[in-house]
Amino acid sequence: MVVSKMNKDAQMRAAINQKLIETGERERLKELLRAKLIECGWKDQLKAHCKEVIKEKGLEHVTVDDLVAEITPKGRALVPDSVKKELLQRIRTFLAQHASL
Amino acid sequence: PRRGPGGGCLDVDFAVGPPGCSHVNSFKVGENWRQGLRVIYQCFVWCRTPETRKSKAKSCICHVCGTHLNRLHSCLSCVFFGCFTEKHIHEHAQAKQHNLAVDLYYGGIYCFMCKDYVYDKDIEQIAKEEQGEALKLQQCSVPGLGEKYPTWETTKPELELLGHNPRRRRITSSFTIGLRGLINLGNTCFMNCIVQALTHTPILRDFFLSDRHRCEMPSPELCLVCEMSSLFRELYSGNPSPHVPYKLLHLVWIHARHLAGYRQQDAHEFLIAALDVLHRHCKGDDVGKAANNPNHCNCIIDQIFTGGLQSDVTCQACHGVSTTIDPCWDISLDLPGSCTSFWPMSPGRESSVNGESHIPGTTTLTDCLRRFTRPEHLGSSAKIKCGSCQSYQESTKQLMMNKLPVVACFHFKRFEHSAKQRRKITTYISFPLELDMTPFMASSKESRMNGQLQLPTSSGNDENKYSLFAVVNHQGTLESGHYTSFIRHHKDQWFKCDDAVITKASIKDVLDSEGYLLFYHKQVLEHE
Repeated sequence: MVVSKMNKDAQMRAAINQKLIETGERERLKELLRAKLIECGWKDQLKAHCKEVIKEKGLEHVTVDDLVAEITPKGRALVPDSVKKELLQRIRTFLAQHASL
Repeated sequence: PRRGPGGGCLDVDFAVGPPGCSHVNSFKVGENWRQGLRVIYQCFVWCRTPETRKSKAKSCICHVCGTHLNRLHSCLSCVFFGCFTEKHIHEHAQAKQHNLAVDLYYGGIYCFMCKDYVYDKDIEQIAKEEQGEALKLQQCSVPGLGEKYPTWETTKPELELLGHNPRRRRITSSFTIGLRGLINLGNTCFMNCIVQALTHTPILRDFFLSDRHRCEMPSPELCLVCEMSSLFRELYSGNPSPHVPYKLLHLVWIHARHLAGYRQQDAHEFLIAALDVLHRHCKGDDVGKAANNPNHCNCIIDQIFTGGLQSDVTCQACHGVSTTIDPCWDISLDLPGSCTSFWPMSPGRESSVNGESHIPGTTTLTDCLRRFTRPEHLGSSAKIKCGSCQSYQESTKQLMMNKLPVVACFHFKRFEHSAKQRRKITTYISFPLELDMTPFMASSKESRMNGQLQLPTSSGNDENKYSLFAVVNHQGTLESGHYTSFIRHHKDQWFKCDDAVITKASIKDVLDSEGYLLFYHKQVLEHE
């Protein structure tokens, strides 16, 4: 029962992802999110944080993966609710338009 | 490596960049590596056509576990996709000795021997071209997005400048850049207070500080927008001594002759004249868009300040409504105590919309806006020919906001020049830090008339919400007085600008001030 539900969820996820890519909506969402995050200062905040991490560890001793692991929690926490809400709304609208999924 | 005393910069030599990866170098020895890389980019990273998008949607799954969520990478040596976070691509790389993989989300190249993403000039150039091309094709469907925030690519002269000026500035909460006094050139406080408000308008500041104005005036030395550009540079230069805005004054005298001379002038009149001249001198900034739609200007002034005011005239006989929509740059509000009729309108009974301090007897900005948007009987002496019943009838007129501007300027009509008297109305009007314009929208009137429940502002709809960022005040009388302004710096610091002198102010100072012009900006911006 649990397994079949998980499979169904995974299938649904895959189907939605396919539709998002096919229609180009995924790229548009990405651009929108990028613009919003620049606008609200998120990018600058994370950049400053990255620089701190690199300075602390030394440029030679840090990889992109280290950096990703280090800043991801902060990065997620700093995304404003309004941005999440807007993205969610756009995805909802998209799904409603492609209700046949 | 260089590092300045301020030390905002990393120890990277800009001109040389990090050393290359030997594995990428040996990859680049292979035949047709460029073509292969481009195919991967075009088919799986930055698609250009619906067909490639379709195949990307189908084929971009991990060849080990079949999912798509875990930072999918593609092998550069053979046809294989694998999850990065689940290390499926790592396993493949180790088993087959295929050292390089492409990140299918962002196009970066990962080297499994160096255990990091690697940066190669040739590959980055290809990636840039492919991404640019895909973005260009996508622009057709999403106008404006993408080109809005282009990445700054340093040119050679810029690299040299950066090298010669190793000090980097960082924004901190005690950062005072942008706070600079303006010398009074002889009763020019009416201009100084508006300049302070305009230079602290967030989007206008972003426009000018990112050097977006392209002058197309026949004589640029007469262009007010160019002068604004240099004014922004001056005010944000970090120079602490007051600036002398003589050039601006000179241009104002040339382009708005009614403001010339050393007499006292009205700050509101100056604001409108300045916006008008700026708007006229902006014409060159978007020739393309203006050509497509001659009636609708899209210059930076219109983008920021223009709202749409809807006027509904309702015939009292047939109840037919004729609607017109006019652009507006500001909203002028009547005050209680003025000679105009229909005031007071029993404030205080309804619950306060915008959380203004509702001391009994105090009028709020919301009250003024409510009065501004109420239906007004035009009277028997002003009969208008009704478009529906084709007869001259008495009618009512109601103004509502049809489209909200990014920056809303409210003007309290404190100076009364009526036939009966000329005087200044000093009634205190309380105004909020946060303003919700939803009740004054034409769309909310429609939904009210359709019987839909009007939800209170706490419903979480933020699209019509505004924040206060500047207040212009007038002290004195109608004949003689002085203008000062409060401006918001950073998120919540306030400063009082009194010509050359700038002092720290509290939010209470701002909200307790009399208020002549109020500047609010939208909290949420829509992307079209």
